[in-house]
Amino acid sequence: MRHVPKTLLLTALLSLCCGGPRNGVELQLWNFGGTPKMIEWVRARADSFNASHAMVRVVQSQKSWNMIRELLYANLGAGTGPDVMNVHANYAAEFGGAGFFYPLNTFHDFQEVKSWFEPHMLESTRYGDNYYGLPCSAIAFTLICNKAMFDAAGIAPPRTWSEFRRAAKLLTRDSDGDGTIDQWGLVLLGGDRGGFSYRFAPFLYRAGMNILSDDLRRVEFNTPVGIQALQLFVDMHQVDHSITPGFLAYQHSEINDLFCSNKVAMCIEGPWFRSLVEQKSAGKEFYTVPVPVPDNLLDQYDTLPTLQDMVMYAINGNTKHPHEAWELVKYFRSCEADMFWITEELGAVATTTAALHCPQAALKENLSIYIHELKHARPWPPHPGIISIANNVITPWCQKAIVGEISAEVAMRAAAAEAQEIIDRGP
Amino acid sequence: MKRSTPYFLLFPALLFTIVVLVYPLLQNLHNSLRRVSLIRGMGDWSGLLNYERVFQDSLFWLAFQNTVLYASVGTMLALGVGLAFALLLNMKIGRITNIMGFLYTVPWVISPVVAGFAWKWLLNDNFGIINHWLISLSIVTEGITWLGDPTTALLCVIVARVWQFYPFAMVMFLAGLQAIPEEQYEAAAVDGASTARKFIHITLPNLRSVAIVLLLLGVIWSFNDFNMVFVMTRGGPIHASMVLPVLVREFSFVQFDLGKGSALSMLIFGTLIVLSVIYLRVVSKRGPA
Repeated sequence: MRHVPKTLLLTALLSLCCGGPRNGVELQLWNFGGTPKMIEWVRARADSFNASHAMVRVVQSQKSWNMIRELLYANLGAGTGPDVMNVHANYAAEFGGAGFFYPLNTFHDFQEVKSWFEPHMLESTRYGDNYYGLPCSAIAFTLICNKAMFDAAGIAPPRTWSEFRRAAKLLTRDSDGDGTIDQWGLVLLGGDRGGFSYRFAPFLYRAGMNILSDDLRRVEFNTPVGIQALQLFVDMHQVDHSITPGFLAYQHSEINDLFCSNKVAMCIEGPWFRSLVEQKSAGKEFYTVPVPVPDNLLDQYDTLPTLQDMVMYAINGNTKHPHEAWELVKYFRSCEADMFWITEELGAVATTTAALHCPQAALKENLSIYIHELKHARPWPPHPGIISIANNVITPWCQKAIVGEISAEVAMRAAAAEAQEIIDRGP
Repeated sequence: MKRSTPYFLLFPALLFTIVVLVYPLLQNLHNSLRRVSLIRGMGDWSGLLNYERVFQDSLFWLAFQNTVLYASVGTMLALGVGLAFALLLNMKIGRITNIMGFLYTVPWVISPVVAGFAWKWLLNDNFGIINHWLISLSIVTEGITWLGDPTTALLCVIVARVWQFYPFAMVMFLAGLQAIPEEQYEAAAVDGASTARKFIHITLPNLRSVAIVLLLLGVIWSFNDFNMVFVMTRGGPIHASMVLPVLVREFSFVQFDLGKGSALSMLIFGTLIVLSVIYLRVVSKRGPA
């Protein structure tokens, strides 16, 4: 009898020390990046899931978007990592193909869940025969035009490459009359290798080109049209001087600063740009238009694709609790959850049919153009080596051409040879 | 005291050293001799193939050249600036000496990451204060793209490195200057030596060993300096300011080629070991001051 209190105390201590899920399953959720509003929503959603699922406890952890590949490679490669995570949709090929993501189409109710989403968006999560994520936060790259500068110059946003070049040249000027250029037509994100390739690829797609062949075995961006696309930027930088001279060092913050201070007239961005501009210069107006097309393709202006990017919620291929993880993913990507992308400014587009066609969606600024662009947009080709090709091959070679170290033709030829080597080497 | 007690007391420190130093080092050596990818895991034994691949990569030679420049020029300049400030402080011009002494050491105590971001903004082509001053003083007519131009990016990180390292050099030189016997200067004055001759024939020879130690330390610390370069340029633009520590990250966590990244870090480690041995020999020859 004397030992009863001690035993009770010991039991209580042990149960406290063991921690973890009580009577159920613990799921690790890693949320990469996101605006403050989005992060807040993810937390609230995880709490709400916990409240409505007594046997499952979600432990959410916020991670940096800049570290996403390093963290995923290190953790998934070691057989650890979270049960559920939000990642780039184009990781389906790289990580899904390596078995690190769980094939969602193996869940019995996948067909029903599939019907929630716009078909072209869901396709971005597919690699081979499997779907490795549920879409979230769709993005189409568009041309952003500074309304004040365009209106002051009395010109409309450009539709063709010639108009684009002319507009950039016209808007590059000495605005305060001190004899030096202080305003440029275009700014490119040159200090972020991924960011640069994501802004160059829309021009290739809008020229009707492919990055890789349909069977993903051949590089196809080094055609004469591809060289012309690069030459456009070379001429703008070397001949017209209409691209900001220091673009090679710019990160997102510099682009935003230059745009908000009317030092640049155009940039190539996605739906997130609205919230960035609002933070720095509330109420600043800009035109959001499709990326220009080559002059001879003007008749296809409305249908040529731009680059599509998207986030998806994926499940770790090594998770011990796939069914609970699937419930969590569905909870995060249901039509009801997706309405948050309509009611709030999150810098990305909703992906479910119900949310995109609800009455509130019609009132959302610029949503119609993004819906239109996303209908035709194409993601990077679903090849496991594509991120490496985009970041480590296309970007450095194209940048060398733009600053005049080599010609556009040599750059594209060299980039294509290196990219082909990556493809031939295999995963 | 039992014979085993010292070992028992040393055990935690020894365990710590093994876990955080010896094990990672051996694992890194092991990785450098195999095909390792984070996604495919540990592959076959590849001998010295990863080292061969490092030497065949043109980026390695560019980074090596940049690192040598960054370490040697950066350290030499920092030593020059440090010596100049030390001489100034050694003149002991009233109370201002203490205030200036404090101000001169500020760069030393600022975190390299914070300093890197500060330099990045100072050198911003459109909003940076340096361009603003240069234009205001009519030295240039338009802003220089310091970090966005492949020809100036490395120079900028070297300047930032000098700014960060010179206070340490200054403190060391100041200590060296204060240890020089006053009699030597008095004797030179009796012989009619000018200030310049006193500096060349008394001050510099007396500071020789301090300078060698500083040079070695500066080169060692610059050789493995990741923070400043990464924050300011990430090795860009177009690899123009790529240095070896940033290239290790590039190989390991951008290209995800851990074998190659490990091989390069072993090469850097070997270089630093050689420099450290030279440093230790110099220090041991110097003996107690």
